[in-house]
Amino acid sequence: MPDALLLLVALPYLGAAIAGLLPTHARNAAALLAGGVAVAGLILVFLAYPTIEAGGIIRWQAEWLPSLGLDVELRMDGLAWLFAGMITGIGSLVVLYARYYMSGEDPVPRFFAFLLAFMGAMLGMVLSGNLLQLVFFWEITSIVSFLLIGYRHQSAAARDGARMALTVTAAGGLSLLAGILVLGHIAGGYGLDLVLDRGDVIRADPLYLVALVLILIGALTKSAQFPFHFWLPHAMAAPTPVSAYLHSATLVKAGVFLLARLWPALAGTDAWFWIVGTAGMATLLLGAYVAIFQHDLKGLLAYSTISHLGLITLLLGLNSELALVAAIFHIINHATFKASLFMAAGIIDHEAGTRDMRRLSGLNRLMPFTARLAMVAAAAMAGVPLLNGFLSKEMFFAEALWAPAPHPLIFDLMPFAAVVASAFSVAYSLRFIHAVFFGPDPEGLPRTPHEPAAWMRAPVEVLVLICIMVGILPAATVGPYLATAVQAVLGTDTPEYSLAVWHGLNWPLAMSAAALGLGVALYALLQRHLAGIDGAPVLRLLDGRRLFERAMVFLAWRVARLLERLLGTRRLQSQLRLVLGAAVLAAVGAVLVRGLGPGNLGHSAIDPVLALVWLIGGACAVGAAMHAKFHRLAALLSLGGAGLAVCVTFVWFSAPDLALTQLLVEVVTTVLLLLGLRWLPKRFETAGSAASAPVTRTRRAIDLGIALAVGCTVAGLAFAVMTRTPPELLAQDFLARAYTEGGGTNAVNVILVDFRGFDTLGEITVLGIVALTVFALLRRFRPATESIEVPEQQREQSAYDTLQPDRKDGDTAADWLLIPGLISRLLFPVVCLIALFLLLRGHDLPGGGFAAGLAAAVALILQYMIGGIRWFEDRVTIRPLRWIGVGLLLATATGLGAWAFGRPFLTSYFNYLEVPVFGAIPTPSALVFDLGVFALVVGATALMLVALAHQSVRAHRALPRDAGAGPAPPSPLAGGE
Amino acid sequence: MSGWGDHLLILPILVPLIAGAVMILIGERRRRTLAALGVVSTLAVAALALALLGIAGTAEPGAMVRVYRLGDWPAAFGIVLVLDRLAAVMLVLTSVLALAALVFALARWHRAGTYFHPLFQFQIMGLNGAFLTGDLFNLFVFFEVMLAASYGLALHGSTRLRVQSAMHYIVINLVASLLFLIGVSVIYGVTGTLNMADLAGRIPSIAAADRGLMEAGCAVLGVAFVIKAAIWPLGFWLPTTYAAASAPAAAMLSILSKVGIYAILRLWLLLFGDDAGASAGFGGTWLLVGGLATIGFGSVVVLAAQSAARLVGGCVLVSSGTLLAAIAMGVVGVTQGALFYLASSVLGIAAFFLLIELFERGRDAGADVLAVTREAFGEEDEVLSESEESAGIAIPVGTAVLGLSFIACALILAGLPPLSGFVGKLAMLVPLLAPGEAPSAGAWVLLGALLVSGLVTTIAMVRTGIDVFWASPDSVARIRLVEIGPVLLLLGLCIALTAKPQPVMQYLGAAAASLHQPQDYAGGVPTDRPPPGEGKAR
Repeated sequence: MPDALLLLVALPYLGAAIAGLLPTHARNAAALLAGGVAVAGLILVFLAYPTIEAGGIIRWQAEWLPSLGLDVELRMDGLAWLFAGMITGIGSLVVLYARYYMSGEDPVPRFFAFLLAFMGAMLGMVLSGNLLQLVFFWEITSIVSFLLIGYRHQSAAARDGARMALTVTAAGGLSLLAGILVLGHIAGGYGLDLVLDRGDVIRADPLYLVALVLILIGALTKSAQFPFHFWLPHAMAAPTPVSAYLHSATLVKAGVFLLARLWPALAGTDAWFWIVGTAGMATLLLGAYVAIFQHDLKGLLAYSTISHLGLITLLLGLNSELALVAAIFHIINHATFKASLFMAAGIIDHEAGTRDMRRLSGLNRLMPFTARLAMVAAAAMAGVPLLNGFLSKEMFFAEALWAPAPHPLIFDLMPFAAVVASAFSVAYSLRFIHAVFFGPDPEGLPRTPHEPAAWMRAPVEVLVLICIMVGILPAATVGPYLATAVQAVLGTDTPEYSLAVWHGLNWPLAMSAAALGLGVALYALLQRHLAGIDGAPVLRLLDGRRLFERAMVFLAWRVARLLERLLGTRRLQSQLRLVLGAAVLAAVGAVLVRGLGPGNLGHSAIDPVLALVWLIGGACAVGAAMHAKFHRLAALLSLGGAGLAVCVTFVWFSAPDLALTQLLVEVVTTVLLLLGLRWLPKRFETAGSAASAPVTRTRRAIDLGIALAVGCTVAGLAFAVMTRTPPELLAQDFLARAYTEGGGTNAVNVILVDFRGFDTLGEITVLGIVALTVFALLRRFRPATESIEVPEQQREQSAYDTLQPDRKDGDTAADWLLIPGLISRLLFPVVCLIALFLLLRGHDLPGGGFAAGLAAAVALILQYMIGGIRWFEDRVTIRPLRWIGVGLLLATATGLGAWAFGRPFLTSYFNYLEVPVFGAIPTPSALVFDLGVFALVVGATALMLVALAHQSVRAHRALPRDAGAGPAPPSPLAGGE
Repeated sequence: MSGWGDHLLILPILVPLIAGAVMILIGERRRRTLAALGVVSTLAVAALALALLGIAGTAEPGAMVRVYRLGDWPAAFGIVLVLDRLAAVMLVLTSVLALAALVFALARWHRAGTYFHPLFQFQIMGLNGAFLTGDLFNLFVFFEVMLAASYGLALHGSTRLRVQSAMHYIVINLVASLLFLIGVSVIYGVTGTLNMADLAGRIPSIAAADRGLMEAGCAVLGVAFVIKAAIWPLGFWLPTTYAAASAPAAAMLSILSKVGIYAILRLWLLLFGDDAGASAGFGGTWLLVGGLATIGFGSVVVLAAQSAARLVGGCVLVSSGTLLAAIAMGVVGVTQGALFYLASSVLGIAAFFLLIELFERGRDAGADVLAVTREAFGEEDEVLSESEESAGIAIPVGTAVLGLSFIACALILAGLPPLSGFVGKLAMLVPLLAPGEAPSAGAWVLLGALLVSGLVTTIAMVRTGIDVFWASPDSVARIRLVEIGPVLLLLGLCIALTAKPQPVMQYLGAAAASLHQPQDYAGGVPTDRPPPGEGKAR
């Protein structure tokens, strides 16, 4: 039997998956499938009844997430059984109805797939033995109902209705999740049995109110209780079978199901009474009142549904066991008569082509069968004796009179409110019947109404039959099932109650009679005017939907965008200020909080010469910053000056290797930047308008402040670090072991290629990547129009050259550069030799692959600059990519070589090689690694150089074609070469 | 350190490195060869990652797994790679994403600019290195590898918008790298070591006079990390850059933003765990506050987003904030949940970035703006009682697949049932509100922030989804299998995470437990020094 539970929940999903795969118009197949699944579910439910009736609980458990104590637990007791029965039973009828209702053009497999998925979610929810699992399925019902409501998504009403329903119910679902988490925190677990068992502990806990409010928000949104009721009428945009299913037995009943489910754990307090009772009472009255003024049949039924759910909620809120019985009873009754009424409304719509009560009339003659059925169902809704609605309404009146209330005033008002609400209910039921079926023959309907297909009416017949049977013989028909359900909730606290049509002449009966009379009178009074009234008087001002839409737009369109603007920025400068500010705050804050002691190294005297160097360097740095905007050339040169100061410092402190590298880096980067400068459009300092000047000045002042703060912080950190030395420093190891274990006397180089060769491998990869990126970016680069022109100097030279008959274009430049060109050409092999020298001696003396690579790059740059691109490339073919690739592979291969000796990656090998004439030459494996570094540095620098240099070639080529016109926008998908 | 199996640890770095270098040599013209090599290399990395996942998983809880000493130098002063469960999980995530993004790119994106393939391989190399390394400076190096490659990929297929936003991205991240370097230098200057395990051992015994300085260094380092994680107010560059990047690049970026989170998870818990003496829990409050603020700002971005891509950018912020705040809770169970959430959100976000490209294709550029204005000015006053004459509209198979994928992505990102986003959220919240002592104020705020951000995401997703799939005039998108396949792969993994979460959760639980016991990590890396001259037999 337990496995049947799994089958019960899984079957609909399986069916949904299959239905989703059916061809678009497989109407019969899809309907058969869905019907089969629903009926199978119903049979399974009934097979379980004997066990349930005996008070047993069927469980099916499976491990899911034991780490969190979450297992899948299906649990069927009386209450769950009752709901499962309604879900599958009414589900079967709805499927049958939908088969005839949906038009042949509809892609029904999708419809049935969603419907089945929804059925599965509902079953999963009511059969959950774990509250988190219940939330899980709860949210799925929200999501699938969204798809069902939005089924006809070409209609804006369907889209809006679906979105509203999902937003409200999903918000409620999240609240419910929070509530359940808190409840689990209080109860010590999420198992349903555990929670239900610990009601007293829960109610006594200080967090009870938090849990209660959060859970109630979930339940009340789902069951469309005031003030969350507004989504339900708009969900009527769904096809009618969906409405009949969602709004009678399933979706909206989920909320009251939860209230009933958790009744033993949460109910019984004043907070429960006030929140649940008030919401229920308000909804009961409001829904019934508004329903009277609807013109759309489905609209009337929607508000009636809201009202009846309010009634159920109110009953659950009364903290009385008898009221709970009444609530569960009314859940059943409402499901039967409301489903049949929705179906009847659908039949009318289907056959007459409209649902507008102002246009419909006299259908009694045209479709007598349907009319009879609808009348009985509406009478049940109105609470006419001998029908099921009457019985639960009687119980409600009794509770309104006698239930214990925490405040006497409530006690006095409740019966009146109950009668008024019932009178409204009678009035709208009467309107439903009278406006549609009586009166003159209809005119101008889109279609001529007639009886629907027999099978389409069959579900209504079944439901109406139930209404009558229960109404006449309650104890014999619904009695045992109701008892089982009530027993499941209340256990030993189940009160004595009697299900009978006749309880003698008593107050509730009198109230029923009064409500009927009042309702008929009210309708008689209003009847003539109703057609002219648009929306419920007074309350139509409180249009929940409009408020909701406004709120959503306001939130997304105004608040969110405003907040995004206020709290964020899309400007780089502002972001950088924040980043730097945060960094300064972090560093200074940490030091301030903890305090900082003096360092353990003594202070040395200030050397005037070095101080002077630093003064110059500092001045250069400041100059670079000052000129960065309008005099980029000056800024770059100043930057070079600052770099040189650093370089001198390295020399001063006996770090020749660093100095050498720094020097070469300075040279190469400065030259590359200068080459790039050519293509940046000029910027001119214009006198700003008077208004913006203070703003600019303030901004600059702020920037200056930030710059000072950052500078001081970094200087402070540097000073603090350099005035102390920890007891054990990595550097000590390196110095001690560079020769003995690394085989080189140049500790810096040994660190780079051996101790931390892996870092170097990573860094050369970075260099390679950057070169590739620069190249890829510049390949697509088109200079700005203002910088595309040939520089003035060059223009004049060309003009001069072309004027002279014996000169060619470019001769002047060649003349000017004759001597430097000659020298540089002569120097080329020399520089290359120096590079080789630096490379080879690197392990023992200042030098190394990186410095050597840069030196070689300098040689290339020199040739490019003096000789020109064409001249140089005619004579020398450099393939920078090949250098990069080979360099990377060489370095990696050196590292891999160690594997052959069973050593980890990059383990170095050191030996002396006997070479004739030269004698013993140190040949560490690190040399090969360094060779890789060398190749990569040469390649990367050359690639960037080529990318920059070729701009001038390309730009000149481009000039005649689109002179004056803007550069063509680069197309993102043009094929690469 | 002799068997070939030992070298497995470094292969996830070397394989893409070699592949990338070879690709440079092959040249741009032979795209088929490049593509084949890329796929082979990525598959190899994925296989390696899975193997390492297995190796890391076999370790007893509480025992450090594998250490690979580069150059055979003692861990005290050489560089080490360290494999533990967290690293293995990140490797697997990276390789899965890489596989999906690469296959997706083969449809068209790899032709949109030069050097896509080598840059992509280097990106994988950088990520893998960052996850494996046990050395602070080496972490910096791999950050650089990863970032440099991501600069290239963010610029890939350069359009004006892309170049502009990539510019912001590059500048901010260069500054962050600078801060990283400053932080590392200060830490090194005070503690004298770069090895993470060694560092953890030395922090408790740092002299009081130096502690402030060390913490300042860590704080600066932390700022660098949270910039990468795009914490508020340091992450405004993220949504713009991610939205502008090409789909495969954006998919890879989805794990890049998690590298900052990874570094915090690793270092904060290692260096400032309960054993850190006076510095224990340093900066935790800031992480929590920053994380919560990021969730808030991310939600604002999500709500205000006018394009699907920016919406997902907002989701990235939300997920970053969630992770930071969850980590800051300092509870093993919450960390475990956060790891699960991380996996789920990385997969979901990547899938979404790929998906956006597919459904945006063939749509008007202005359509998104219209969606919001349409909402603002309304098509209200629909007559409710219009008859249900009109039937539903049949949806072509391609659109149906896209629609279902969209729903799946939305559910994952919003953290709604039944997909892994919900499980991840639950896995954080359940331990947060575990029975027993009353939850802290931070826990309450985090609970609220998670749920509200989920709701906001739902609202925005519904708006976008309705607009793309329901309201727009039908444009039947042509989708190719190579493009939808990767999306389905990522979503399939999310579904698998939901259906069978237990093994994953157990694994992540062990990972979280060892993260919260720094002595495991510190003890697993031997940091004693042999006397000079006897280190290696040569």
